Amino acid sequence: MIDKRLFALPGMRRYVIILGVLVFFQAVAIIVQARYLSIAIVGLWNLQSFKAIVGPTIIFMIAFLCRHLLTVWQNRVFFPYVEKTSGQIREKLMAKIFRLGPAEIEKRGTGNIVTMALEGIDKVQTYLMLVIIKVLDMSITPWLVLLYILFLRWEQAIFLFIIFPVIILFMIILGYAAQAKADRQYEGYQRLSNHFVDTLRGLSTLKQLGLSKRYADNVYEVSESYRKETMSTLKIALTSTFALDFFTTLSIAVVAVFLGFDLLDGKVTLLPALTILVLAPEYFMPIRNFANDYHATLNGKNALTAVLDVLNEPEMKQRDELPSFKWDNQSQLVLSHVSLTYPESKQPALKNISINIQGMKKIGIIGASGSGKSTLVNLIGGFLSPDQPDQVAINGQKLPHLNQEAWQQNFLYIPQNPYLFHATLAQNIAFYVDHATSESIRNAAERAGLTKWIKSLPAGLETMIGEGARSVSGGQAQRIALARAFLDTDRKILLFDEPTAHLDIETEAALKKDILPVFDNHLVFFATHRLHWIGEMDYVLVMDHGRLVEQGTPQELANQNGDYVKLRSEMEASDL
Amino acid sequence: MKGLRQTFAHDTWVMPYLRKYKGLLILVLFLGFMTFFSGGALMFNSGYLISEAARRPSSIIYIYVPVVLARAFGIARPSFRYVERLTSHNWVLKIVSDFRKKLYQSVEKKASAIQRSHQTGDILSILVDDIEHIENLYLRTVFPMVIGWLLYVFIVIAIGAMNWVVGILLLLLLGVIIILMPLISVTTNGVREYRQHQIQHTFYTNLTDEVLGLGDWLISGRYDDFMALQKKPIEQIAKLRRHDHYYQWWRSFFVQVMVLLSVLVLLVWSAYSFTATKSLANWVAAFALAIFPAVSPFLNISQGASEWPVYRRSIERVNQLDAGGDGHPVKQTSLSEPFKDLSIKQLSFQYPDGDRKVVDHISMTIHPGEKVALLGPSGTGKSTLLKLMVGDLTPDDGSVEINGQNILSLQDVRSSLFGILDQQPYLFDTTVMNNVRLGNTNASDDAVKDAIAAVGLKDLIESLPAQYNTEVQEAGQRFSGGERQRLSLARILLQDAPIIILDEPTVSLDPITEKKLLDKVFELLHDKTIIWVTHHLAGIAHVDQVRFLEHGNFDMQGTPQELYKQEARFRQLYDLDRGK
Repeated sequence: MIDKRLFALPGMRRYVIILGVLVFFQAVAIIVQARYLSIAIVGLWNLQSFKAIVGPTIIFMIAFLCRHLLTVWQNRVFFPYVEKTSGQIREKLMAKIFRLGPAEIEKRGTGNIVTMALEGIDKVQTYLMLVIIKVLDMSITPWLVLLYILFLRWEQAIFLFIIFPVIILFMIILGYAAQAKADRQYEGYQRLSNHFVDTLRGLSTLKQLGLSKRYADNVYEVSESYRKETMSTLKIALTSTFALDFFTTLSIAVVAVFLGFDLLDGKVTLLPALTILVLAPEYFMPIRNFANDYHATLNGKNALTAVLDVLNEPEMKQRDELPSFKWDNQSQLVLSHVSLTYPESKQPALKNISINIQGMKKIGIIGASGSGKSTLVNLIGGFLSPDQPDQVAINGQKLPHLNQEAWQQNFLYIPQNPYLFHATLAQNIAFYVDHATSESIRNAAERAGLTKWIKSLPAGLETMIGEGARSVSGGQAQRIALARAFLDTDRKILLFDEPTAHLDIETEAALKKDILPVFDNHLVFFATHRLHWIGEMDYVLVMDHGRLVEQGTPQELANQNGDYVKLRSEMEASDL
Repeated sequence: MKGLRQTFAHDTWVMPYLRKYKGLLILVLFLGFMTFFSGGALMFNSGYLISEAARRPSSIIYIYVPVVLARAFGIARPSFRYVERLTSHNWVLKIVSDFRKKLYQSVEKKASAIQRSHQTGDILSILVDDIEHIENLYLRTVFPMVIGWLLYVFIVIAIGAMNWVVGILLLLLLGVIIILMPLISVTTNGVREYRQHQIQHTFYTNLTDEVLGLGDWLISGRYDDFMALQKKPIEQIAKLRRHDHYYQWWRSFFVQVMVLLSVLVLLVWSAYSFTATKSLANWVAAFALAIFPAVSPFLNISQGASEWPVYRRSIERVNQLDAGGDGHPVKQTSLSEPFKDLSIKQLSFQYPDGDRKVVDHISMTIHPGEKVALLGPSGTGKSTLLKLMVGDLTPDDGSVEINGQNILSLQDVRSSLFGILDQQPYLFDTTVMNNVRLGNTNASDDAVKDAIAAVGLKDLIESLPAQYNTEVQEAGQRFSGGERQRLSLARILLQDAPIIILDEPTVSLDPITEKKLLDKVFELLHDKTIIWVTHHLAGIAHVDQVRFLEHGNFDMQGTPQELYKQEARFRQLYDLDRGK
């Protein structure tokens, strides 16, 4: 019933004790309230005047106000703690996202992670707020009330005591029966919802095929058949709530009737009888509240599980093995027999890769799709970790992986779609460089061939770009990434991952002219399947099915007449 | 109030359905009322029962009726509640079916057959969420509120009939709970909600931005900046939410104070009116006990009301979908004879919010069997031209005609004229067989299998455990990009239209896959008319004619061979593409 993980939260035990005390006083207030309301009513029943009942009425009112003030108090006491705790969890999650890095996050889906950090944590907050107080309420209030009833009249107390487990038992039995069906129904709901989104997303395809009008009826029919299915399951699923409702309400009726007979027989007087009747609904109230919020707590519980899953995800440690350094002509990167396997797959994505790179060079990485080009680039960037430690080395120092801060300070990564932040153009260009002067930003933009475009923008370099602002074409996005490289003269390594794959040939031709100068005096890794880039490289790595099948200068490889030559002939178009 | 009227002024999403399912709606409200009525009646009856019994009447007959009633109400309350919940769910699910169809139709009207990506997915999810919000509007706000009001009217009239002063007092006290408080909640919360929504939106955008750009953050080593960026919106939201919670807690407390005052009114009234005789005094307990369950539905009405701003945004958004209308419908006809020519005559087009003519008096004629490639830098209007050709856009000037008939009058028979293969052809979350059969829903299983064999996927599909009944999974994830293109190609083969539009079908494929796909396409569609928009020159030898679109006009045209010989720019690009 109660989640043990909650007690692992720092400071939780203390708050449970404080809240327990408050709930206890609230239960006392409930009993006092019932008692004095009954006294007032019995006074009137005895035909006394209003003056006679002023005293008990005032006590009733005070108890009533205390009870509800205590509710506010409980919330006020607990909320700051919940707020702080959920805030800390959110912060931990953000830090974890940063440490996990892009490869891991992509696997989980950006949307999922963002939703988790926002709504997921909100749900956790609601969960913490609800569950502790409700559970305390359920484990203190009914029993105190019952104790008091026992003191008034033990027969009714015994009845109420026995009915409690009966209710729980029926809820469990009916709940189990309904659960399986409800789960299936939830799946059905997911399917339906997916079907609907699926249909909407494929609308242009339906339109192409001339089916879009006809599909409207299909949408309706699917939804209607889901409704019928749902209704038949709901009939069962709701019985659990019905059982709770039925037993609690009927118990009150039964208590009333038995009290009536006992009064008739003179076994009891009106005051205790009335008090019991007023208290009977209070006895059931906590469990009813708990059942009402069951779904909110379930959502919160699942959200907490999802968040804890991410927090417990293994991450690459030892990120500071490598001392700070600057890549220069003498620097050396060695991979020796490196393999890399994705966690969920059996086949390694990279097999036995060995390379030895020194100083400033231009290295092309080619291969068919699925050959492992991107995986190799991700390994070099430190976003993925090799299967075995000590297979990579920088300047002779063996490392567990390349997710080293000192290494990452040395390179820039330019993927197919460089990410542009929702910020000004200037801020985007200067993302890697603190305190860049606007002069140097302008200069870098000029060298990246952006000047003409910038002039056409309303606010020039201060124009907002990125999501929700001015959209930027693929070619210009590459130029902005290029400007980052021109601006940051400290980073001597450039990692390109198919930077031009999606560009049209004219844009690519123009871009190439501006990219080539940045290659000078840099170590360049350039993964591509556009062959014309190979002519600009000093050294080529040919990948095939995760293996490094050939490496050498373009000339050497052309002479070898092996995989490189074969790959080129497959890719090349014929003469016109 | 003004906002309320504004929201519903052109509403086609909420009110019509309240009318459409009137009968069920009344039933839901009746059952809801009866649930709380039985709850109150049970305590009323019980209070009377024990008071009467405590007088120790001579015979059990005196309390016989209340004894029976106690059991009856005890059973009635949960039963009414059970049926009410079933009925209201049924009602809402019925509406959901209507909503989905309506939403689909609204989106369908505006969808274009030429689309470069499926990014619209986000917008669609928002709309799907909106529908859920409107469901909740009924379940969480409208139903409880109306049931609350019914109960309110009942209590006030019933008590007012006995003593009008008490009636008016209750009218005021309970009115504060179910009319004044919800109104205050809507106003205060409306402002807060609006602020919160804005901050949350910023937060959401920032966070997505951070996560998508995570690689850059990591490499730049700006951990502190990364963490700091979230601090402000989180704190702002936390502050707003804190206020919101405090407000809610005190509001609930205030509602309880109103309940307490109502109880006090009843007690005082009882003290002066019911203490005349013993049998009258038996009613005191009845009234005092009944008030608590009777007002219980009032406690959450304010909360439901304060959710209104969320619902309102959703209602307004879905209503906007319908706005705009169809423009001028063109009378539809069909072609009497097979496709003879497609001619583009002096075609011009400018987007309403654009600053230049995307297409500027373009003319060209395409005959059956011709293969035309369209090139040009991105953003130059190639896909606009395609949209004009198939009739998804209406030109400002000039026309597109097939066999001399305007394309805008051929929209109903469009799928028999054009087959389209685009960048990311969509595979629906169903089997391979069903997906391919979408090309021609009357095709036999064998015809579908033949088409799959023709595109060279027979071996692959038959090697899968479920063969042709393999599920393609969401958006066709089961298959690679090249395979997805081939499945769509099979679909087009079944569709058998005379004109095929290829809208950059190879943009996300690697060169080897690309080459194979293009060879296949031109081999299978050799007798069709093909209009091919492409971003580079691989496979250009397949076409008879190349046209470069720039600044709304064709600035280079000819056969690939001619262009290679005569145009230095074309030659340079072609050589670049070949890796030289």
